[in-house]
Amino acid sequence: MPLIEARGLTKKFRQAVKEPGLVGSLKHFFTRQYKDKLAVDHIDLSVEAGESVAYLGPNGAGKSTTIKMLTGILVPTSGSLVVDGLVPYERRQQNARKIGVVFGQRTQLWWDIPVVESFNLARDMYEIPPRRYKENLGQFTEMLGLAEFMNIPAGKISLGQRMRADLCMALLHDPKLLYLDEPTIGLDIAVKDRIRKFIRSRVEERGTTVMLTTHDLGDIEDICKRIVIIDNGKIIHDGDLAKLKDTYARDRVIHFQLARPPESIEPICAELPACELATDGLRLSVRFDRFVFAAGEIAAAVMSHVEVVDFRIDEPEVEALIRKVYLGQLSLDSPSQPAPAVVEA
Amino acid sequence: MSHIRKYRSLARTSLEITFVYRAGFVLNMIGTVFYVVAMFYLWQTIFLGNPGSLSGFTWPEMKAYLLVAFLLNSLLTWYDEWIMSQDIREGRVAVDLARPIDFQAARFAGAMGPVPFEFCSALAVGAIVATVFGGIALPADPVHAALFLVTCALATLVKFGIVYCVSMTAFWTTGIEGIVVSRIAIQNIFSGALIPLVFFPDVLRGIAAVLPFQAMISTPALTYLGKLDGPTTLFMIGVQAFWAIGLAIAGRLMWRRAVRAVTINGG
Ligand SMILES: Nc1ncnc2c1ncn2[C@@H]1O[C@H](COP(=O)(O)OP(=O)(O)O)[C@@H](O)[C@H]1O
Ligand SMILES: [Mg+2]
Repeated sequence: MPLIEARGLTKKFRQAVKEPGLVGSLKHFFTRQYKDKLAVDHIDLSVEAGESVAYLGPNGAGKSTTIKMLTGILVPTSGSLVVDGLVPYERRQQNARKIGVVFGQRTQLWWDIPVVESFNLARDMYEIPPRRYKENLGQFTEMLGLAEFMNIPAGKISLGQRMRADLCMALLHDPKLLYLDEPTIGLDIAVKDRIRKFIRSRVEERGTTVMLTTHDLGDIEDICKRIVIIDNGKIIHDGDLAKLKDTYARDRVIHFQLARPPESIEPICAELPACELATDGLRLSVRFDRFVFAAGEIAAAVMSHVEVVDFRIDEPEVEALIRKVYLGQLSLDSPSQPAPAVVEA
Repeated sequence: MSHIRKYRSLARTSLEITFVYRAGFVLNMIGTVFYVVAMFYLWQTIFLGNPGSLSGFTWPEMKAYLLVAFLLNSLLTWYDEWIMSQDIREGRVAVDLARPIDFQAARFAGAMGPVPFEFCSALAVGAIVATVFGGIALPADPVHAALFLVTCALATLVKFGIVYCVSMTAFWTTGIEGIVVSRIAIQNIFSGALIPLVFFPDVLRGIAAVLPFQAMISTPALTYLGKLDGPTTLFMIGVQAFWAIGLAIAGRLMWRRAVRAVTINGG
């Protein structure tokens, strides 16, 4: 039985139809016009224990709404939802004991009291055994580098520090399930890195199930094996990240730095059919299908004709790939589509 | 019983936050002291024109009445209502909902945390004011003193019930400020905080009797002064308990409705 099982999960919001300005507000006061917004539209989702799922989609796609239903904060309009044997909104507190939640845009810490006191409150709220609490706090403090601001009120620390502290707070009670809603939003690379490493260690060492929404594709490649894409409230893709890359990001590019400008690239082209070559002064790049050629074969072919000083390989760009999915240029639901056709330059 | 611990911690945190905002607390206190001193002068003038007693109140009794009103008004300052509705409007309740705590109990703990401190400060300030104005009437006997404490506790529960229900309206309206101001105005009149209810015309007294507000100040003050006979005291305590429980249930229902029907705002 999956840890998370959603069937036809739907959330409809009633949004006020209001024209801008005072006049608009007045009009609304008398006419009270509303329209329905299907924020989450009949989604089916099952997540097994130990999985790490990236939940992606453009702004307003319905990611946060889904997470709020999974955590029991919002009551679904229709559909069924069971998380670890419980219906979250019916057994809110019981569900809450088993989950950790981090909202990137909202802190769980108490603003006015030192960070460590928020942690102590978590200890009491989640009834964490004292020894376990001490162990976890010690370990997390070390891994996330919390010591320097432990005694400062949350209102007076930086965003990066706050996120690290929030993450610590969400995991002190060893939740089975960790929900992260845009955990790295607005953070610099070093902090992102630290946070990702930490989350990965939870997944690998404790088998914590992670569901993460993000805009930042770095989060996905570091943490998640599975990727679910939602757009306009509907799930438009659900699958393995590696498979996605294999299917749609088959092309790789090798960039060579040459000792002197090549006289002609014709002989290399002849040796590497179906590859795209481009030169620019001392640079030569070869785009190839990695299921047709191995990178080594490309390198050998090039080196047999010209003198190579240096080279590097571009990884397939998940980012570009996912952008295409958003833009509707790539339909992931039809695997029959020939892959090379969609992976244009 | 281990459940109690989390709410105790929440209460302690709330007290700690009051200390963080001590400047606000002190200013608020100074404001109420000015107010109570003004009331003293006002009533003193009235009593000077009518020596003896007014509707059964002597001047020392009136002073005691005003100080009891001051004491009870110093508990659960409207800060809590403000914070609660703000949390609702800005969607911070989402964080609370993701925690293994009962929302109402957690808010109750948060509201109660500073109460012992508020009580002691008000008692100290009240004692000073009483001394300056030449002393006040003391409770008739230890029984009345004990009953007074019971009515104070119940009055606090009633106040919390009202504040909680008013806060809940923030789920449906953005204009909570108006509701809070109205609540305070109505409460000041019908709780007997400004004028003891016996001074009211019959119609107003009738209205006061069916509203929860009299349970907040009038009942404890009259119990303190021993103005009610035994059975009436017990009846009034029963009325307080009725409101305390009724409002708690009403608040719970409002919350449940809000969470089901209304959406939690924001990100
Ligand atoms: N409380 C709400 N009331 C009305 N509409 C909402 C509310 N919350 C979200 N929405 C709408 O639902 C849609 C999905 O929002 P959300 O789940 O926050 O998107 P995401 O997290 O993917 O950016 C958006 O169109 C948003 O405007
Ligand atoms: Mg969001």
